[in-house]
Amino acid sequence: MHRFKIALVLGAAALSLTAPATAQEKGGVIKVATIGEPPTLDPMTSTADLVGIITQHMYETLYTFDANWAATPLLAAELPEVSGDGLVYTIPLRQGITFHDGSDMTAEDVVASLERWMKIATRGKQTAERIAGIEAADDHTVRITLKEPYAPLVSLLSLNNSAAIVLPSEIAGEDEIKEPVGTGPYKMKERKPDQYIDLVRFDEYKSRDGEPNGYGGGRMQYADGIVFTPVPDPNTRVEGAVAGQYDYIDSIPVESHQRIVDGRTEPVMLAPFGWPVFVMNTKEGVNSDLKVRKAIQAALAPQDMLMAAFGTEDFFKAEGAMYPDSYVWHTEAGTDAYKPGGDTEAAKALLAESSYDGSPLRILTSRQYEFHYTMAQVAAEYLKAAGFDVQLDVVEWATLTQRRTDPALWDIYITHSPFLPEPSLTGIMSDSSPGWWVSDNKHKVLAAFNSEADPAKRAELWADVQQAVYDEVPAYKVGNFNAVGAQSPKLKGMRPAPWPYFWNAWLEK
Amino acid sequence: MIRAALNRLIGMLTVMLLVVTIVFVIVRVTPGDPAAVMLGPEATAQDIEDLRARLGLDGSLIEQFGSYVAGIAQGDLGQSIFLGQSVGTALWQRAEPTFFLTVFSLLIAMVIALPVGIASAYWRGSLFDQTMTTLAMLAASVPSFWLGLLLIQSFAVSFGWFPASGYGGPGTTLLERLHHLVLPAVTLGVVSSALIMRFTRASMLDVLNDDYVRTARSKGMTEWRVVLKHALKNALIPILTVIGLTAALLISGAIVTETVFGLPGVGNLIVSAVLRRDYPVIQGALLIVAGLYVLVNFLIDMLYLLVDPRVRY
Repeated sequence: MHRFKIALVLGAAALSLTAPATAQEKGGVIKVATIGEPPTLDPMTSTADLVGIITQHMYETLYTFDANWAATPLLAAELPEVSGDGLVYTIPLRQGITFHDGSDMTAEDVVASLERWMKIATRGKQTAERIAGIEAADDHTVRITLKEPYAPLVSLLSLNNSAAIVLPSEIAGEDEIKEPVGTGPYKMKERKPDQYIDLVRFDEYKSRDGEPNGYGGGRMQYADGIVFTPVPDPNTRVEGAVAGQYDYIDSIPVESHQRIVDGRTEPVMLAPFGWPVFVMNTKEGVNSDLKVRKAIQAALAPQDMLMAAFGTEDFFKAEGAMYPDSYVWHTEAGTDAYKPGGDTEAAKALLAESSYDGSPLRILTSRQYEFHYTMAQVAAEYLKAAGFDVQLDVVEWATLTQRRTDPALWDIYITHSPFLPEPSLTGIMSDSSPGWWVSDNKHKVLAAFNSEADPAKRAELWADVQQAVYDEVPAYKVGNFNAVGAQSPKLKGMRPAPWPYFWNAWLEK
Repeated sequence: MIRAALNRLIGMLTVMLLVVTIVFVIVRVTPGDPAAVMLGPEATAQDIEDLRARLGLDGSLIEQFGSYVAGIAQGDLGQSIFLGQSVGTALWQRAEPTFFLTVFSLLIAMVIALPVGIASAYWRGSLFDQTMTTLAMLAASVPSFWLGLLLIQSFAVSFGWFPASGYGGPGTTLLERLHHLVLPAVTLGVVSSALIMRFTRASMLDVLNDDYVRTARSKGMTEWRVVLKHALKNALIPILTVIGLTAALLISGAIVTETVFGLPGVGNLIVSAVLRRDYPVIQGALLIVAGLYVLVNFLIDMLYLLVDPRVRY
């Protein structure tokens, strides 16, 4: 019954994509309960999912992702024309695009915005090292010149967090955005921090032609507005969902799924949503020895860890591949080392060969996400069985985000990530990301992957990168997990997505 | 009385200076970094350093403390790192729900606690007294988050009489916003009533057997008049103290209740600010809350002078 209802909801969501136009109704305000107040409304500044979820309605990027996670034009007129040597990207812009302040978007605005992105955005700064120059070829064309071929560029320009949003040039010249002025289908009406963010339809919005396709294609503004209400307490979000107070409720604890089924809203499940990961400190401490990391890889039993964290297999899958089989990046390369039940004897043998001297293995985690903590507890027992002395350092999230930047303070830290459309954007792929994974092999396979422009060849090259991850264990992927939300039966046109969006959605009267 | 007030004022200023210093130091030595929180999970150490510089958090502690104190001296509590508004504005916006929540929950607590406490003392040892004392113990022991969720499940989910959380969306009227406060006010009122009821009962018990009460009775006064006029008036000082302290606690933000009900009040602001490491908001909010505490205590001390002429400072 349980799975049947989930299937029904997913099926209904899929069907709603192809619902006839006559069923779509204009009007109403979509009320959304979010997990809290966003730390900023500048999506260039932050990689936090919550920031992207809200701001993607106000700001737009040159590209975005379609339903198959391929980059597709948004403010750009077409995909870029790439020179034969892969160094020059010529991007034609759409014409007649208006900012929320009434001004027209030009190439000058795009250049200024990309320059700001390279200056302050985490992903922009990483990309800036590869960019030789950005210029306006004419009023409606932008040209990006690279120092070396870099295939992830278009994906980077498509993401909605640490996002290369397009702003009016005068705003792009400032470090801080004082007034949110974008080109998106909804614009800011009022923000009362910790109370609501009120967006209203931007009447001058110019949608792309064509059917909606993931985040791409046509963006219809059926709702008059969207109100995001922060509801940080998960139990309160559940009760709000059961009471039918909101049209969409983000991030419901999986153990409350049955209460949602019995309530006035319907559960929405994105399966799979993402992957919990144990990041290893390869720079300092016990995990700087590869054999110790291999011993950890052998010792952990992801099936038990996920079961403890998510309760039933409706909400997780113990899978070693870094991408599920619904993605083009799916490969089984290296996953022989992933043992759902763990292999304590192999772990003991590896540990005996290593330099491990009995020092505490410090696992840094928090209870911000309860499943991180639960997995840490189970992992600790398996690691102890393999011969490790384990120390759980449980701190709150703000402390964790600071401590993980200091290699002297931890050996493993626990986090999670959605399946990013571009694999090279995964944290461990950056040498400077906490964990500090650096090796000749990594650089070799990643360089080959990043410089290859052909998508089919890139998918093959990704197998080499995943193999390197399993061989060198800079991180341990625990498995796949699903995200659960809830929505009112009146809310139509929604498609489960890692960053839920409400253009193309409407309220049935 | 004027000298007593002046003495108290000097004490208040000293306390406030200590609060400013201690809060500043504690906030800065606590692990965690607002820049890391704002940047999100993919930020590198260099990104965090860059943002700290942009936010003005890279100066020495002495410099930061100096500019903070200079700001306070000019009535400026600073700018929130996350909210895009000044600390003063953030506090002002949170004042309305917290103020009404305080008033309503205190009213509910007093309406329950005072009559029950007086009656329990009057009929000491009776079935009524035993029942009420047990209920008060229960109310004092119930965690407010549990009671809050119970009320939400009953009156918001099952009956649909009240909203489950929040303080109303854009364009809501004051009446609609107050509608959101009913369940949290009942939660806090019930929990707070236990303490006030027990103090009222104990205080009344102290005075009910005093000579002046016996004298009043022997003069042929009605029991109603004896209890409410003679006994209650003399039992009021400890009751006033506990009501005052409860009010101060509520003003400072019924943190758990505001969180459970998603109310954008002062308590919620403080919790969010601590979790985000929004230094200016933590400092400003605690300064104001401490100020309110000190002020409430000052007013209670002054009330003692009015209620009981024998009191001297």
